[in-house]
Amino acid sequence: MLSLATPKVFRVINALPRNSRDTLFLLLVIAWLVIPQAAHLPLWCTLLALAVLIWRGILAWTARPLPSRWWLLALMAVTLGSTLISYNTLLGRDAGVTLLVVLLTLKTLELRARRDAFVVSFLGFFCLLSNSFYSQTIFSAITMLIGLLGLLTALVNAHMPVGRPPLLAAARSAGFMTLMGMPIMVLLFLLFPRMSPLWGLPNDAMTGRSGLSASMMVGNIASLALDESIAMRIHFENGRIPPRQNLYFRGPVMTHFDGRRWQASHLEFESRFSETSNLKVFGAPINYEVTLEPNNQPWLLLMDAAIEPPQLSGIKARMQSDLQWQLNRPITDLVRYKAQSYARFQHGPTTFTPGLRPALNLPPGFNPRTLALAKQIRSDPRFRAAGNAELVDLVMDKLRTGGYSYSLEPGVYGTNSADEFWFDRKLGFCEHIASAFVLLMRALDVPARIVTGYQGGEQNSVDDYWVVRQSDAHAWAEVWLEGNGWARVDPTSAVAPGRTGAFQRLIAPRGVVAQTLSNLSPDLQRQLRAGWDALNNGWNQWVLNYTQSKQLDILKNLGFKSPSWEDLGYLLMAIVLLVSALAAGWAQRYRGAQDSWLHLLRKAQQRLRKAGIYDSRNQRASPRQLAETLKSQRDIKEASIKAIYDWLIKLESQRYASASSTTTKLQKKREIRQLNQQFKQLQWPTKKSQSDRKPN
Amino acid sequence: MPLADQIKLTQHNVYILPTGPGLMLVATLVTLLIASINYQLSLGYVLTFSLAGSALVGMFMAHNTLRGLVMDLGSPTAQFAGSPVAMDIRLHNPDKSVRYALILAIKQSQKSKNTLVKTELCTDVPAQGSCSLQLTFTTQQRGLQRLPSVTIETRYPLGSVKVWAYWRPAAQVMIYPRPEANPPPLPLSTDMVSAENRHAEQAQNSADWGAIRSYRRGDPLKQVIWKKAAKADQSGDALVVRIAQPNAQKELYLDINQTGTLSTEARISRLCAWVLEAQAQGLSYGLRLPGLDISPAAGLTQQRRCLEALALC
Repeated sequence: MLSLATPKVFRVINALPRNSRDTLFLLLVIAWLVIPQAAHLPLWCTLLALAVLIWRGILAWTARPLPSRWWLLALMAVTLGSTLISYNTLLGRDAGVTLLVVLLTLKTLELRARRDAFVVSFLGFFCLLSNSFYSQTIFSAITMLIGLLGLLTALVNAHMPVGRPPLLAAARSAGFMTLMGMPIMVLLFLLFPRMSPLWGLPNDAMTGRSGLSASMMVGNIASLALDESIAMRIHFENGRIPPRQNLYFRGPVMTHFDGRRWQASHLEFESRFSETSNLKVFGAPINYEVTLEPNNQPWLLLMDAAIEPPQLSGIKARMQSDLQWQLNRPITDLVRYKAQSYARFQHGPTTFTPGLRPALNLPPGFNPRTLALAKQIRSDPRFRAAGNAELVDLVMDKLRTGGYSYSLEPGVYGTNSADEFWFDRKLGFCEHIASAFVLLMRALDVPARIVTGYQGGEQNSVDDYWVVRQSDAHAWAEVWLEGNGWARVDPTSAVAPGRTGAFQRLIAPRGVVAQTLSNLSPDLQRQLRAGWDALNNGWNQWVLNYTQSKQLDILKNLGFKSPSWEDLGYLLMAIVLLVSALAAGWAQRYRGAQDSWLHLLRKAQQRLRKAGIYDSRNQRASPRQLAETLKSQRDIKEASIKAIYDWLIKLESQRYASASSTTTKLQKKREIRQLNQQFKQLQWPTKKSQSDRKPN
Repeated sequence: MPLADQIKLTQHNVYILPTGPGLMLVATLVTLLIASINYQLSLGYVLTFSLAGSALVGMFMAHNTLRGLVMDLGSPTAQFAGSPVAMDIRLHNPDKSVRYALILAIKQSQKSKNTLVKTELCTDVPAQGSCSLQLTFTTQQRGLQRLPSVTIETRYPLGSVKVWAYWRPAAQVMIYPRPEANPPPLPLSTDMVSAENRHAEQAQNSADWGAIRSYRRGDPLKQVIWKKAAKADQSGDALVVRIAQPNAQKELYLDINQTGTLSTEARISRLCAWVLEAQAQGLSYGLRLPGLDISPAAGLTQQRRCLEALALC
């Protein structure tokens, strides 16, 4: 819009009647609010909203009358119907946002009274908020701030009824308000007690966040490989980053396979066959802190293997028997937790138990050639008596030497994915490899399962955080070894050692800009990206993950011994009171200057009254009147009386002499101070004694 | 509230209260806060608190729009009862920022309809400048009248609060009686009439008639310029009469006892109309009221003296 704003357009806009101009501006602001939401609104809603805005814009441009109420009702009915079709409900978050957007745009069709302007801006505020359901990045924060400024500008402009004030004047006022409101915002943001949701978090609070899931269709993780968004950031204590081959972050563990889809073990099943994890750890622990992006899943990602529960504020994590740490609710918000992991560990049963049965299941009717391969290996006399470990080595050897390759785009696999991998295509992404590997191991009667999670990551050169991205999502295998328990095997490392060993990642195809940048200077690009990530991380640490524990940390730094959230409230109150007191004092300052003069006059009146010179009934006597009274009753030749007389006259002239415009407030203050000092030096007469009185 | 012809608005005489939309804004803020808490939206908190901060600053801005403003009043000119009286109000803004959207209003209760009539005007005052505006009101009461109190109000910038102040001007305005609409002719005494006749005959020859004006009821027929009457009839204009020069030596005493048997107000109203008439005809006239005697004279000063006497009697 602005790029089209040639001077001619400006001229045209300036020539518009004020009403049209204001309406067009408001429509622009609303468009600014609606367009970012297009990503998560149904297409019909975006189109309808924009169509209404454009229609209203044309009406404003040509100064034609607004459509009748019937139009509104009809469009509203259409909206309700479409929303029902889209969401099967009119309630809930997404349906609500859709209705809100349409309502906001329809309301512009009846901007008749000033009340309507209010309604539009208030709906606009809700619309601003609704965008943060879906995105809370720095970018969306900036977008939101601009939207807020726009709405405030429109509101201020609606309250400038005289003439045709430039929009810039309204914008300046709105900007001033927002800017001066910032300290208030920061204060409230820091000190307003963060509480848990007042009532149950709606289950639609988080959708559309990518990441690992509880089930794995072969091909899922490959789609994540293109996703450069950050999954988690880790701060290792003392900056000691473990070797890369140990950086396996455990996500959902999948044992059930139905031929197409791997699924995590069912919880009911878990509880019936509750196995102990039987975890033993060796060596020195690694301490670190994880900031996990919301993933809408209940699991906490930890490095293998943690024996102590991660320290979260207010939520308890449980460990499943497969070393999975879980919360009892999905993570819908950035969470941060401290954890302790041991790179050397053992877990799982050391002898075969019924609990291992599910790890041997093969869906019937799938992958016949893989089963045949397993039979063939088993019938080989060399491996007839081979232990599980040997079989693993054998298969890993096959992967290393059998011409298998690692690829991001292996194409679409059919129903017998393991067969295709082993015999036809011989290329795959980590999940194809892991899946094929586990199926072959099971066919060989070796209990095996798939573990999904993240592997590797990279260090941000700006703030030294270890960053794990969605593209680091990985799938590997665990096999059960007699006497040893579950052992991690990463078949992908056999195919592509670079994936897990060296600091080399698969480079996904990039956009044009990034491509050009990396061609120009790969270093600069890395620097830029590191800077951007650090900025984002700061944003996450300080804005998005500003939780109650962080608030209480601030209080601790302020010297509270064991702060509670009530203390936050008290502190907030105290600051509010202090600011109010300061404001009140500031408001009084002018009055104070006035009053100090009056105060002096009152003091003089009091002294004269004591001396019996001044009649207290005359409260409003001016200094000059006092002086005259003094003169009429006392001998003015007396030095002390003369001094009082002069002082009163001075007091009078300080206030009433036609002050030249050059006397500043400061000078006036100085004069008052002088008068005050002189007042203290005056010798006031005492009450006339009887002897003074002339005998009648 | 003290009366003053100049008022400086300070925090002591400026009031502030939330408006309906202001309460709506508070409800909006509460809703936004609850949504932010329930969905744990950090950015929602940022939005809610930014808006709250802006609204708070807006409250101060609204108060600043009035605080420090100086208003004064040009002395109002006398007016007849029932005619609009103009109040010339000047607003001075000593500060470096424009003051927007000031609404000045006067309210008057109308006894006849038992309603409040509100006259209001909206204006901006430029930075370190001033502006003036005129509010009008009508009154049926004759005599020295207080000016109605002025309300100055603003809802700038967000409309969430209403900031206002009252001002009771100390100035008073003289309200003359309402002149009777169709008064009987001036009570010219007989010798005056004959003098006038003679004078008129002379005048036709010597033409010392200074001016002409359209015919009013009560004008002597002798003064009608009949030559123009025919034309006037065709063109639909009124008849034209000659007006004697003010130097004409004619004396006229307007006495409250000549006004017939009317109520006092009606008598005063009639006298008022006669004074105007006599002035229009350039006569020299005096006024006799109970306990007051204004000796005859001509001219605007005399007219004002008589009208004020009538207003105050």
